[in-house]
Amino acid sequence: MASCWWRWRRGCSWRPAARSPGPGSLGRAGLSGLRAAAAAAARAQVRRRGLRMSQVSYFNLVKSLTSAFPNMYSISRFHHMTPAVCCCSKTRSGEKYTDPFNLGWRDLKGLYEDIRKELFISTTELKEMCEYYFDGKGKAFRPIIVVLMARACNIHHNNSRNVQASQRAIALIAEMIHTASLVHDDVIDDASSRRGKHTVNKIWGEKKAVLAGDLILSAASIALARIGNTTVVSILTQVIEDLVRGEFLQLGSKENENERFAHYLEKTFKKTASLIANSCKAVSVLGCPDPVVHEIAYQYGKNVGLAFQLIDDVLDFTSCSDRMGKPTSADLKLGLATGPVLFACQQFPEMNAMIMRRFSSPGDVDRARQYVLQSDGVQQTTYLAQRYCREAVREISKLRPSPERDALIQLSEIVLTRDK
Amino acid sequence: MSLRQLLLRLPCYLGASGPRRGPLDTISSVVSWRAQSSRSPAHWNQVVSDAEKIVGYPTSFMSLRCLLSDELSNIAMQVRKLVGTQHPLLTTARGLVHDSQNNLQLRGLVVLLISKAAGPSSVNASCQSYDMVSGIYSCQRSLAEITELIHTALLVHRGIVNLDELQSSDGPLKDMQFGNKIAILSGDFLLANACNGLALLQNTKVVELLASALMDLVQGVYHENSTSAKENHITDDIGILTWKKQTFLSHGALLAKSCQAAMELAKHDAEVQDMAFQYGKHMAMSHKINSDLQPFIKEKTSDSLTFNLNSAPVVLHQEFLGRDLWIKQIREAQRKGRLDYAKLRETINAGKGVTSAIDLCRYHGNKALEALESFPPSEARTALENIVFAVTRFS
Repeated sequence: MASCWWRWRRGCSWRPAARSPGPGSLGRAGLSGLRAAAAAAARAQVRRRGLRMSQVSYFNLVKSLTSAFPNMYSISRFHHMTPAVCCCSKTRSGEKYTDPFNLGWRDLKGLYEDIRKELFISTTELKEMCEYYFDGKGKAFRPIIVVLMARACNIHHNNSRNVQASQRAIALIAEMIHTASLVHDDVIDDASSRRGKHTVNKIWGEKKAVLAGDLILSAASIALARIGNTTVVSILTQVIEDLVRGEFLQLGSKENENERFAHYLEKTFKKTASLIANSCKAVSVLGCPDPVVHEIAYQYGKNVGLAFQLIDDVLDFTSCSDRMGKPTSADLKLGLATGPVLFACQQFPEMNAMIMRRFSSPGDVDRARQYVLQSDGVQQTTYLAQRYCREAVREISKLRPSPERDALIQLSEIVLTRDK
Repeated sequence: MSLRQLLLRLPCYLGASGPRRGPLDTISSVVSWRAQSSRSPAHWNQVVSDAEKIVGYPTSFMSLRCLLSDELSNIAMQVRKLVGTQHPLLTTARGLVHDSQNNLQLRGLVVLLISKAAGPSSVNASCQSYDMVSGIYSCQRSLAEITELIHTALLVHRGIVNLDELQSSDGPLKDMQFGNKIAILSGDFLLANACNGLALLQNTKVVELLASALMDLVQGVYHENSTSAKENHITDDIGILTWKKQTFLSHGALLAKSCQAAMELAKHDAEVQDMAFQYGKHMAMSHKINSDLQPFIKEKTSDSLTFNLNSAPVVLHQEFLGRDLWIKQIREAQRKGRLDYAKLRETINAGKGVTSAIDLCRYHGNKALEALESFPPSEARTALENIVFAVTRFS
C-alpha cells in the first residue's frame, strides 16, 4: 500500500509550480483536468466503499478529502479533529464522555506496583535498575490501550463488563517488554536522558544496563507463560522478534528513494506498532473467540501504533526539549531519516546526500532541520498519521458500542494532537 | 548457503590468527578442533565424540545457525567491522567458532542425552512416537538449541564494555560504541530466536522454566561483573556458600532447568523431572569447578597465566585462612601495584584451597551420578556418566 501511495506522491505536489509529474503516475493528461475528474471519481468511490486506502490513490484521496472536509486543507499539528470524523453510530449508553486515560486507569491501579512484584530480584542495585522506569511517571499509553481494548472486546462478545486477570496481565507484559527495549535502545543510541531523568546506562554503565534490560524481558516472559495460553505466548513473542528486527532495519539503510519510505514504514511497524497491535490482539484472543474481532483489534493497534510513531517523529522537529523529556533532533543526530525528512527530501533534493551519509558531516543536522521546517514534511507526515488514525477508528467502530470503544476512538485522536 | 560453507568462511571474517585450520570436509574434523582445548584432550574428546554419535550429530554450532542465516548476514558483516579493534565481542565470536575451553557447547549435548536416556514417558505412551529420531523428540532437539541460544546470547552480552572506563589503550571510542551496539543487537537477536522457539513448543510450563532460567542466568552474570577484579585486586568477601549460590545462577540454572524442561516435553512425571534437574545442576557445578581448577593443576603453566580471584579454589583458600590473612597474602604478591599471579598461585597451592576444590568437584560429580541412577541403563546414560567422570578426573 505504502509504495504505490509513495509513487503518486512523487508525481504530485502541494505547490502547483514545483515539478512535472513523473512518468507513469499521471499520464499525459493535464494536472488540473485530471484533478477534477479524479476528484469526482474519488468522491463516488469514497461513498461506495468507505475509505479503503489501498484502493483509492493518494492523490484522489487528498482531493476527495479536501472537498469533503474543507477545513483540512491546511494541515497542521494544532488542527483539532472533531469526533464526527467517521460516520458510525455513537454510544447509546449516554454515559458522560470521559477522558480515555481516566477510563483506562480504573483497571490499571497498582500497575507499577504489580510490575515491580514481577521483578523478584534479590540484589538491591539490580532491583533498583530494573524498577527505575516503573516509577509511575511514564505515559502508560500501551497499558491503557490494552485494557480499553480488553473491555471493548469483552463487551462486544457477551456484554461482560469485567477485565479478566489474564487481560490485565497483558497490560503489564506490554509495558515491561516496551521498557526492556527502551533500556537497550538507550545503550545503543548512547542516550543520556529519558522521561526527564538520566538513563540507566548513564547512571550504572552500559554493562549493567544491558543486563537490566534482559532481566525485565525475562520477567515479562515468565508472566506471559503464567497466563497459560500458548496462542497468546506466540503472539507476544512475535513482538520481541519484531523489536530486534526493527533495530536492525534502523542500522541498515536503503539507497533508493522509493525503497526508503517503505523501509521507514516497516521499521516503524516493527519498532512501535507491532507491540501495540499484538497486545491488542492478545487481549482480544483472551476475551472473545471470534477471529474477526482479533483482526479488528490487531488493525486498530497497528494503525494507532503507526500514527503514534509518526507523530513522535514530527514532534522531534517541532517540539522543544523541556516538554519531551528527551532532547530533540535526536533522530537526525542518530543519522535517522524519519517521515518529515523523507518528505522534505522531495522538495529539496540536496538532502539526499545528507541522508545517505546519515547526517554525519558537521552542520548536517542543523541544515536538515532547516530544510524540514521550510518544507511541508511535517504536514505531510501529520497527514499520513491522520490517515492511519482514521483507519483505526474505522476498524474499532465495527465493535459493539461501549464507553471503552469510544474511548479508543478518542484515544486515536489524542495520538494526533499530543505535544509530548 | 550451507552451514558448513559459512563456517569455512567465518575464520577469515573474524581475522583468525593462530594455526591455519584445514577445510571442514568431515564431521570428525569439527570434533578434532577440541584437541586445542587444554583439558586432557584425548579422553575428553573421546567422551564428547561418542556422545555426539549417540544423539546423531555434532552439537557445537547450534546457536550459530540463526546468526549465520542469509537473512541477517548483516551480523557477520557487522562483526567483521570490529576486526582490528579491541572490543570483546570479537573474542567471543572467535571463541564460538574455534571451540575453546570456556565455550564448549556442552549444554545442548547434555539436554539431548538426557532426553534420550529418559526415553518416552511410560505414562503417556501415546504422545508422538512418530516424532522421535535417534530416540529424541523433535521438540527436545529444539529445546537443546534454545538452551544454547540463551547461553550464547548472554555470552555475547557479557562482552559489553563500559564506555566511561575506557582507556586510550582500548582504542577509539567509536569502535567500542559500535561494538557495544552490535553486541546488544546480536544478543537480543539470539534471545528473540530463543523466545520464538519456545513459543513454537506450545507448552507454557516449559516457557516458564526457561524464562526463569534466563532470569537466573542474568543475575549470575551480574554477580560475576560485580565481583570481578577491583582496585588492588581485593574481591568481595564471599564465602563458599554464597559462591555456590552465585555459581548456580550463572552456570547451573540454565542446564538444570533445561534438563527438567526436556522431561516435561516428554510428559515425564515430577520425580523424573527432578532427577534431570539434579543431574543438570550438579554436572554444571562440577564442570565450573573443574574449569576453575585448571590454572592450579596443569603441570606446564606459563608464569603470566592469570586466574580468576573469584574461582572455587581461591574462595575456599580464603575461607580457610580468614579474610585478613588472605588480604595480606595478596598484598605480598603485589609488585608495583600489579599482581604476581605465579607467586599467588604458589601460595594457594600450598594451602588447602585446591584440594578442597577437587573434593567439592567430586562431591557434585557424585550427586550427578546419583541422579542418573533413576534412569534406565542405556548408551545415553553411560555417555552422561562418562561426561561426569571426565569432568571430575584430575590425574
